[in-house]
Order: sequence, then structure tokens, then C-alpha cells
Amino acid sequence: MSGILLSVQDLTVSYRVGRGQIDAVDGASFDVETGSIVGLVGESGCGKTTVARALTRVIADNARITGGKMLFEGRDLAALPEKEMNALRWRDIAFIPQSAMNSLDPVYTVEYQLNEVLRRRGGMGRAQARLRCEELFDMVGVDAKRLRDYPHQFSGGMRQRVAIALALALNPKLIIADEPVTALDVIVQRQILDQLQDLQKRLGISVILVTHDISVVAYICDRTVVMYAGRVAEQATTRDALLQPAHPYTMGLRNAFPDLKGAASGVLTPIEGAPPNLASPPPGCRFAPRCPFVMDMCKSVVPPPVNVTTSHLAACHRADEAGALRQIAEKAETWMVPA
Amino acid sequence: MSFLKPASARLLQLVFVLWAVVTILFFMFRLMPGNPMAAYIDPTFTVEQQEILMAQFGLDKPLWEQYFIYLGNLLQGELGDSFRYREPVAGRILSLLPNTLVLTFSSLIVAYAFGILAGAYLAWRRGSAVENIAIPLVLTTRAMPEFWLGMVLLAVFSFWLGWFPAGGTRGAGASYDSYFALYTSTEFLTHLALPALTLAIYSQGLPLLLMRSNMLDVMKDDFVTMARIKGLSNWTVIVRHAARNALLPVMTSFAIAVGYQLQGNVVVESVFSWPGLGRELVNAVSGSDYPLAQGAFLAIAVVVIAMNLVADLLYAFLDPRISHA
Amino acid sequence: MLEAIAGRPSRIFAAMFRSLRLPLNDPFAVAGLVIYAVFALTAIFADRIAPYDPTEILFTADYDLASDLMPFTEGFVLGTTSLGRDIFSQIVMGTRSALLVGITAAFMVALIGSVIGLVSGYFGGWVDMVLMRLADIAFGIPFLPFVIVLAAFLEPSIWNVVLAMALVLWRDTARVIRSQVLTLRSRGYVDAARVAGSSDIKIILRHIAPNILPMSFLYGSVAIGWAILTEASISFLGFGDPQSISWGYMLQDAFASQALAKQSYHWFIPPGLCIILVVSAGFFITRGYENILFPKVGR
Repeated sequence: MSGILLSVQDLTVSYRVGRGQIDAVDGASFDVETGSIVGLVGESGCGKTTVARALTRVIADNARITGGKMLFEGRDLAALPEKEMNALRWRDIAFIPQSAMNSLDPVYTVEYQLNEVLRRRGGMGRAQARLRCEELFDMVGVDAKRLRDYPHQFSGGMRQRVAIALALALNPKLIIADEPVTALDVIVQRQILDQLQDLQKRLGISVILVTHDISVVAYICDRTVVMYAGRVAEQATTRDALLQPAHPYTMGLRNAFPDLKGAASGVLTPIEGAPPNLASPPPGCRFAPRCPFVMDMCKSVVPPPVNVTTSHLAACHRADEAGALRQIAEKAETWMVPA
Repeated sequence: MSFLKPASARLLQLVFVLWAVVTILFFMFRLMPGNPMAAYIDPTFTVEQQEILMAQFGLDKPLWEQYFIYLGNLLQGELGDSFRYREPVAGRILSLLPNTLVLTFSSLIVAYAFGILAGAYLAWRRGSAVENIAIPLVLTTRAMPEFWLGMVLLAVFSFWLGWFPAGGTRGAGASYDSYFALYTSTEFLTHLALPALTLAIYSQGLPLLLMRSNMLDVMKDDFVTMARIKGLSNWTVIVRHAARNALLPVMTSFAIAVGYQLQGNVVVESVFSWPGLGRELVNAVSGSDYPLAQGAFLAIAVVVIAMNLVADLLYAFLDPRISHA
Repeated sequence: MLEAIAGRPSRIFAAMFRSLRLPLNDPFAVAGLVIYAVFALTAIFADRIAPYDPTEILFTADYDLASDLMPFTEGFVLGTTSLGRDIFSQIVMGTRSALLVGITAAFMVALIGSVIGLVSGYFGGWVDMVLMRLADIAFGIPFLPFVIVLAAFLEPSIWNVVLAMALVLWRDTARVIRSQVLTLRSRGYVDAARVAGSSDIKIILRHIAPNILPMSFLYGSVAIGWAILTEASISFLGFGDPQSISWGYMLQDAFASQALAKQSYHWFIPPGLCIILVVSAGFFITRGYENILFPKVGR
């Protein structure tokens, strides 16, 4: 049943800015198992969206994949010729964009845009496509009558359902969802996430869910990959990552999010400071300037990913002390003063 | 279609503007020559003619009464008689209107077809050397007087190279049974070529720059990126999605451009001796043929005002965000 | 805070001047400014630069009429017209009427348009409605035909164009300024100033005017081009002032004298080129301004 569908290894994506270059993603590595939902989480600027887009090979004009591999079913997406990559697009790898009004063409009906992928990319005939449209709408819970409507006639939540239907159209193996519920209100968020999870389980699709919201990850993701400043800080099952984090950053993240169900005693403690400027990142561990557990070594040597358990990796020099550090991290005072 | 309600509001606006322009004309032509009767009566008319016109336009009545008679006459298409041609102005205007419209629309269609394609191409080739040459060149075409361009084209292609005739719509002595026969004859087309080219070169700048600017904006929109992520072909992305969206404001500008083109017509018709409304207006004003001048101006104004309305409606019709609100 | 809103007049004018922001980064805009400068200087010193009076009928050394001479014969730089007048002198003197009409008309259009747009956008209500109906009417009047019709009744003069533009062409500027004012009004500080008790005049001068001035300037510089083109068209059609030799008049003269058939390019190309240069200069400066007002990433 399972196997590794996608293996990102040491991925580096660089942006040409002015005369210099910024590595928005600098040596990121993580795996996605077939049939699982992986959460790619981190704050703005950590590189998660860049990774998501790099997987589709549709990136900004001034961006380039400058290192690493993205092994999808054994084939390196980073090295594929454009024609072969294009054959994969949408058929094997689909994308759900952020809930932006603008991700659907305003001058065509939703049905037209569905047919566009079904017929142009899926080679379906008219009747077959029609049936599939209705099937897809049924799957996402939108009335088939609305196929003839234009994007602006849908509410935000409905539009996201349409986006999901679009992504499912050609039965892809992998769906990358970039902040799919960020712009929706909490109740609709939950509905969409439930739907997504339900479909994923039924159809056996693998999903990469990019988000900055840890509660989303906690809600439906099987595994969690935490990114910071262009690198992967930690990756583990969601349970391990959130309940037994081994990287100080993840420990800090936990404190910064309110727990809807938990005790009211939790004080929100943000992590002091800000992520480094990627134009001139610090040598060594990038979290060092903000880390309460920093040692001298952290400031000069880049921490390699270390196995905390077989399926749990953390890029920290002090990963073996994780248990003890966790205890200290739970106290709010640890985070008050920047290291 | 939910754009019918604003359509009726626009229609009202059209009627209002039309009324205002007609009123301005009335006062201009009555008050400015000094003698209100000069608007319709030429001293060389026969006594009977003068009496007929007096009665028709109530020229011996007080000004405000004349105004309503004038409006009534207008609605019936009665514009008085031309001093120079001694025939009804309305008939003369109608016979000239097709010539002007053919010139206007043919040149505008060429201008827009070229401008849209070139504008999309330049957006595609952003930052290239082609762009750095093309844009200033286009701005220059907008900076030149159309009649001067006409003169240059005439001097080169007609007088020097002899490829095209020097003016008019047909050769001397040629006659055609109907407008249709005339317009589809090769002789007409050779006569149309230079004036239409002149106007086309002058007008292509707007659709070109507008299309380019819109394309550059639209190419940054999310749905264009999504189309690429879907793996759709370049043609589908650029033409069916980007260009289709960028085209919207350009199409509505077409309607407005007709109005501006008509003004360009005025001078170009004079350069090429094209028997249209523009040239007629100029001749009528030069010869103090007030009824004809008023009629020609009115005809042009009506087209401009109508086209403004068409532009508004077109936008509502073409943009699903408005037509399917 | 209150003092800032009820600012002193000197500061208000300083703010206005700063808001002009000459576009000196764009090479084309600089070229445009240079062209303007050259033509302006030519206009000012025209009578020193022009070798002859433009209306003077000249004779060759052999006492023949100096008619239709080619450039550089008998010392006439650009040759002569059919009537024996020096083309170069006409070009040089023509800068005067061109710039005069251009600048005056542009100023009127920018001023009237901005004031109407400002009043309309700021006060709203029925004032707005009336003024915008006026704009609708202005949009319904075909401009060049209107100037021609005016010519039927008024003495031929270069000021007819200015008058017509002042009456009709304020419409674009007014609409754009109005929408800009509406945008500015939707920002908090206007309401804040009102609550603080500032008078409308002060608010307009201190907050609104400096922000719309660049836009007025932009439309003004485009209007210069329009004015020159219109004046040229009017003169070409024979409605211009025969006493003031403008570039448009030169073209009419050339056309009527069969210069096309005679292939006298030296007669009708230079006036056209001058018009193109001056009007293009206006466009380039405008583009430079646009990049300041509406910076687009990566152009």
C-alpha cells in the first residue's frame, strides 16, 4: 500500500534579485508516502510555497531550481525536459491554489474551465467530459446546476470546492494544496478540510498541504514537515511533531498557537525576533539567533537532519536532548528573552 | 441579462446629451451670425423659398417658439435647405454619410486588428530590443497630424510612384448603380487605400498600447499562472485566457474610437477630396452655408454620442461579471 | 496635529512644488524636456534666429522671384515657398504660435478640468451630478468639428482653439481628477481633518491638491500636444489666422500650392516634423510621469 511517492532531496531554489541571488529554499529534504497527507508548515517566507510551486515547475521568471532532486515515482522532476514535465502536469500532479478569486478565469464558466482540463489534457469526448463534470461536482458537494455559472457567482467556500473538483479532474496521484483554506472563515475551513480528507482517503491520493496554520496540520495531516528560513527543521508524524517536537522552533511554535480545546491557562508566547534575511543568512543553524538552547557550535556548523526515531528527523545539534529541552520549552519564560 | 436596467439609464443619458448638443447648436447658429434668420435664409433665395422657410422654421416668431419648432423639425428630419446646393440638407447629409462611415470603419478595423495583434506581441516580447524601438515609434504615430501623414503618403505613393489615385472615391466620369456596386469595385478600393491607411496608421496606437498594457497586467494574474500549472499549451494560456481578458477594455474602446476617428476624418477627407461629412462640414463653414454646416455637425455628433452609448453597453455585455451579476 | 492640518501658506506651496516631481530618471522623458527647452528657446529668440520675415516675399540675386527654391540655394536653408517666402524663417517663427497655443490651451484644460474634478469629487451631491452631466455633454461634442463651427462665427485667430479646448476638452481631466479625489476622500485623514474643524478650503489645499497636482500636470502636458495638433488642423483647413504663420498654415500653403505634385518635400516635411517632435516630447514626459505616479515593477 505505501511506498515513497515523492522524495525531495536537498532542493535549492534561487531567485535572481538585482545583482545578487536569494536562495528561498536551501537544501530542503522530505518524503511523501503514497496515500498520505503531508503538512508543509512554517511562517511567511520560510520557503514552503516556493517548494510547492517548484514541484509543478511553474515558478517566477527570475527563479530557478539550482540544486537537488525531486524524485516523483523515481523520476527527477527538476531534471525532466519541459515536454515530459508538462505531460505530468495535472494528470499526475495537480494544484489547489490559495482561495483567491483570481485563480479562476472570470470570463469563462466553471464548466468551460473543467472541460478545458478534461478534454484538452484528459482527451475526453464531450459526453464523457459532461459526465465527469457532474461526477466531480457531486464529489465535492456542489450542485451540478451551477456548472454554467461564472466564478464570481460563487461564494469563497464554494469556489474552493470548485478548485478541488478541478484538481481531482484527471485523477492525479499527487495534489499540492497551497494554503487552501487560509482565506475562509473557520467553519467553512473545517468543512473543506473534512471534504479534502474524505476524498483523499477514498481515492488514495497523496496530498501536500502547505499552510502556516498549525491547527490545520493538526486536524488532517498524517505527517508534518516544518520549514524554517528555507530549510526543513523537522519532519515526523503529526503526532510526534506536535506532541514530541525535537526541534526548538517546533517547540516554540506550539506555544504560539491557541488550543481551542485545551486548558484556558495557556498563555500565548510568541518566539521573539524574526526569521533571518535570506539575502545574507547566518552561517550555521538559521534558527540560532532566536533559539533559547543555542550553543557555540550552532552558530557556525549547519545541523544535519538527525534521526530522533526511524520516522522522525530533526535538524538540531541537540536533538538527542529533545526530551529535556521540551520540558524547558514548555515554560513561558524560556521564550521571553532572545538568546 | 441584468444589464438591461443600466441600459435604459444609459439610453436616457444619450437622449439628454443629444438634446443638450442640439440646443447648443440652436443657440450658436441663431445668435452668433447676428441675424437669427441667417441660420436658414440666404439672401439669394427666391422670395417664395424665403417664405416657405420662414413658415417652416417660424423665423418671425420669438426665439423660444423657434426653438420648439426647431426641435419638432429635427425629429422629422427637416434641416432646411443648403444655400450652396439649393437642396434639402437632410438628403445631402444622408447621401454623404455612407462614404464617411465606410472610411471610418474600414480604417478602424484595420487599425484595431493590427493594434491588438501587435500589442499582444509586444507584451509577449517585454523588455526586448523590439519593444524599445516599437514603443517610441508608436508614440510618434500618435504625435503626427493625420493630414500631414496623408500628405506624405499622397506625395510618395500617388504623385511619385503613381500606385494610387490622388483623391475622390472614383475616377472622373465613372458612375455606379448603387452604393454597394461602388463600394465593392476595385476602383473604389484603390481610392480608399491611401485615406484608410492614413487613418489606420494614426489610430492603431491606442489599441496597441492598450492591449499591451492590459496583457502585461493580465499575465500577472493568478488564473494565468494556474493555466500553466494545468499544463495547458502556450496558445491556450496566452490567447484563450490572457488575451481574452485583456481584450475587454480594448473592444469597448473601439466604440469610443469611432467617435474620435470621425474627427480625424474631417481633415483626411479634405486632403483626399473624399466626399464625406467631414469635407462637407469644412466646405459649408467656409462658404457660410449655415444649414448644411449645422446638419453636418449634427450628423457627426449623433454618431459620436451613439457610439459612447454602445461602448458602455458593450462593456456590460462582454464582461460576465456585469452581465451575470 | 491640528497645526499640521491648519498649515501655513508657505508650507502648502512648498508641498505643491515638491509634488511636481520632475521625471529625470527616464531617458525619454529627459529627451522630451530637452526638446521642449530647445523649442521654447527658439520661440523666445525667434526674431533673432529667423533670417527673414516669414511673410516677406523674397527675390534672388538676379531679381527673380525666389519661388520654389531648393534647400541651400541662394542662402535659403530650407528653400522657399511658391510665393517666394523663406521656409526656415517660417518654421522658426511658427514655434511661437505653436507654443503659445499649446501652453495656454493646456493650462486652461488642466486648470478647468482639475477644478471641476476637484469640486465634483470633494463636495459630491447635486454639485457632482450637475458637473458630471456637463461633462457628459462635453463628451458628446465632437471636438474638431466644434472648432470648425466656431470658426464660422469668430474672427480667424489662434485663440479660437484655446477657447474651444477650454469649453470642451476639460472633460477627460475632470473625470480622472474626480475619481482620484474620491479615492483620497475615502482615506481617513480627510474625515479626520473635518472632525478637527478644518475648513474645506484648507483641507483641499493641504491634503487634496498636492496629491492631484501630478495628475493635472500629466493631463496638461498631453493637452499641449492636442492643442498644437488641433491648431495645425484648423490652419490646414483654412480657418487659421493668415497673419500668424503657423506650422499648420505652412502645410495648408504647401498643399494649396501643389507642393505634393511638385514633390517639394523640403516645404511640407519640416513643419510636420516639428509638430511631431513637440507633441512626442509631451508624450515622453508624460510617460516619465506615469512611471512616477504609477510605478510598475519591471516596467
